[in-house]
Amino acid sequence: MSFTEILRLVWINIIGNRFKVLLTSLGIIVGSATIVIVIGIGQGGQQDVAEQFKNLNAGTITISDNSGISSGGMGGGMGGMVFVAMPSGGGNSRGSGGSMPSGMGSMPPMGGMMGQSQQRIERTTFSETDLEEISYFVPNIEELTLMATASTTVDGGTMDEEAEMNVVGATTDYFDITNLELMFGSFFDDISNDNLERVAVLGYQTAVDIFENVFDAYDSTILINGKKYTVIGVLNQTGSTVSDVDLDSSIYIPINTAKKDVMGNSYSPNIIVIAQDVDEISTTIANIEQLLSEIYPNGSFSVTDAGSQVTASQKSADTLSFMLIAIASIVFIVGGIGIMNVLFVTVKERTQEIGLLKALGSSKRDILLQFLLEANFISIFGGIVGILLSFALIPLISSFGTTIVQSAFNVVLALAFAVFTGTVFGFYPAWQAASLKPIEALNQD
Amino acid sequence: MSEQPLLELKNINKFYPLGEERLQVLFDINLTVNKGEFIAVRGPSGSGKSTLMNILGCMDTADSGEYFLAGEAVHQATDSQMTKLRNLHIGFIFQKYQLINKYDVLQNVILPLLIRGIPRSQAITTAKDTLQMLGLENRLDHKPNELSGGQQQRVSIARALVGEPDILLADEPTGALDSKTGEDVLNLFKELHRQGHTIIMITHDAHVGAQAEKELHIIDGKLYI
Repeated sequence: MSFTEILRLVWINIIGNRFKVLLTSLGIIVGSATIVIVIGIGQGGQQDVAEQFKNLNAGTITISDNSGISSGGMGGGMGGMVFVAMPSGGGNSRGSGGSMPSGMGSMPPMGGMMGQSQQRIERTTFSETDLEEISYFVPNIEELTLMATASTTVDGGTMDEEAEMNVVGATTDYFDITNLELMFGSFFDDISNDNLERVAVLGYQTAVDIFENVFDAYDSTILINGKKYTVIGVLNQTGSTVSDVDLDSSIYIPINTAKKDVMGNSYSPNIIVIAQDVDEISTTIANIEQLLSEIYPNGSFSVTDAGSQVTASQKSADTLSFMLIAIASIVFIVGGIGIMNVLFVTVKERTQEIGLLKALGSSKRDILLQFLLEANFISIFGGIVGILLSFALIPLISSFGTTIVQSAFNVVLALAFAVFTGTVFGFYPAWQAASLKPIEALNQD
Repeated sequence: MSEQPLLELKNINKFYPLGEERLQVLFDINLTVNKGEFIAVRGPSGSGKSTLMNILGCMDTADSGEYFLAGEAVHQATDSQMTKLRNLHIGFIFQKYQLINKYDVLQNVILPLLIRGIPRSQAITTAKDTLQMLGLENRLDHKPNELSGGQQQRVSIARALVGEPDILLADEPTGALDSKTGEDVLNLFKELHRQGHTIIMITHDAHVGAQAEKELHIIDGKLYI
């Protein structure tokens, strides 16, 4: 029988069993909608990761103190000199001295000079000198800067009451390294830093939080930790995070000003390094670690590169995608079993018809093709309806804040999966139909 | 008759497995049918007449013996060759018509031609002629279950005739019909016989068997000519 004539028979049977076709295709409808949505969510996750690290140069290395010793609550003296408790004669007087924050905090650690700690870990406070050492001794360095963060109270603009916000003590180089762009105004320069000027650049979100209308921010005065700062610029929105700093939700002030006004003895800056050649980054990290361990024999540092951070996030996004695809595949298998069951019943119901077709001389191939095409029709129908359903559902899911990528590829994939399922699960019942013996099939009641 | 017979059975034996044993249902059947003959094979139920009909119709194979149909050695044919032989040489008429209710009368009748690979338009022309001859030209787009039993049987006869087979093989063709309609069908068979068709009819009914040109008897798997 010609292919067109087989298709005609398939069509007559499909039209005659509309309700059954719809019921059978339900599994495939759900399956293909799941595929489109789930892969979209997976790709959305990857896109989120990419977006998050957009401002991050893959060659970025972040060096931070990892001693775990915080001077914040205990006072600078205790924090900076944990290991020198023994030699001090006047324990009491030293203790009270330690509670005075400003003096001790700004001093470099003194453990090494005391010369008596062996394995004790010492808190490290990086300085400009360290930058010079690194750029002098370590090759493959393009740029480097100091950066410190703290959470402190901010007031001003249209705010009803003061709020905790993230303050970044930065240098001019920091803006360059993190690829920050101004919406308007200007960055502060090295002179501002040297002169301890009280000027601030606002991240987009902080400008909105403080002023509602970002343009009101320009040249306004805000209170940071109770001191008056002039806003000299507002940044473009980025949606990115660099070295644990959410760029949009931060306030940037000169690092020396930050050290004096905001952080005091809890000042513990990070060094941010940009490597020239990303491929050499592990050597560069090793070199930096080596150098720092010589400068600070009792220090403990964490040196991380952005590339591995991105890779880790990408990896977890990949894992998520894989799990979601696994779930979608299970849905498809269940849908396929549904098709198979209905087809088995159909073959049973239509045994006499199959017997007659065989008596009239229909070949095995024709009958196999007829039933396989019926299964395919059901699965393609289910696939298309499922894809349409996903188009309706995606805006709904997106409205809950999940990023879903819609692409032609996902649609084609869902359809391919549907056809594949129909063919695989339709084959056995179709084969069974094609293998029926004409006499037995005809005599069945 | 020096001409080669249309159909020839030589020493056909058929067994069915019955537990450990084998039950013999046909014993050394010899039968020759020439073109244009109208033969009835009559026997009670269990006599082996259905088995004989299945073998004649190329739907079953004998365990021993030879079967020649229109010069073809059916006993040597493969499954797919038998399928082709059925389509080309045999027109089946069943007791229960075996029409497909989803398809209209025309689609039912053109099926054997479509299976043969004949283009639809040509198949429709041929089928319309056949249906007209059987007085069904106004029923083309009816579904079989909208027709009376007699009309349905005529549709199935149309389907058997449309491919111009060598043999019409009718299995209890009047079995599902009332006597008046059954008579009409038998008269139709006689008419087809006059037109030169070869007909083999299987029945248990003496009256029906008597309508044929020649009546054979089958009892306990043995054919008496």
